[in-house]
Amino acid sequence: MRKTDILDVISRKLSPFILLFGFYLVTYGHLSPGGGFQGGVALASGIILLLLCQGPSIMGKYFPLKKINYAEALGYLGFIMIGIAGLLAGKGFLSNFIPVRGTGDTPGAGLILFLNIIISLKVGAGITLICFYLFKEGDEND
Amino acid sequence: MTRMMHILALTLFSLFLLYALIRGANPAPPLVRDYLIENGYEETDAENMVTAIYLGYRAFDTLGETIVLIASVSGVVYLMGKKQ
Repeated sequence: MRKTDILDVISRKLSPFILLFGFYLVTYGHLSPGGGFQGGVALASGIILLLLCQGPSIMGKYFPLKKINYAEALGYLGFIMIGIAGLLAGKGFLSNFIPVRGTGDTPGAGLILFLNIIISLKVGAGITLICFYLFKEGDEND
Repeated sequence: MTRMMHILALTLFSLFLLYALIRGANPAPPLVRDYLIENGYEETDAENMVTAIYLGYRAFDTLGETIVLIASVSGVVYLMGKKQ
């Protein structure tokens, strides 16, 4: 894709806000509509905006491909580890064993927050990988 | 031979769709739904009911969904990473 001035400026100014909104969707998943899957896809779309407008060289500088691979595997293993930790605490696989209470009026859901963050890592990394490989394939055909 | 298998698969699938249509018109009494709506907020501390169900009550299905995602991502990476 040819690099133009409009795409350059808009992608660099807009993508931090998209990433911030993705984080909001993930961490407020138990209070307002959102959650791990939706927030993960929003995070991935922020990264893909940078990828489309700046070219694949940005993936080596800010979001290296190796780290994204590790993030996806880490997300999946983290999910299983939390489930096994629930087993070790004596209650059952994937049970709520963290007695985290919120402060004041907002309720704090202990295990649900951790699970949301881990799921968002996994989903965001997965969707970014799919789009990166599809983009690379299309770029070679030019 | 393969044509017979195709016809058999299509017949079975259409029978299954017919069963689902008839079953959907006469639903089972809503015991599970009422219980989930009543006690959803107290047992898991989540106001969002969708989150309470897919991360609180049925978190095992979410594990299966992450498995599906990993399988699809590895399939795409394998197909697209081959050098021609």
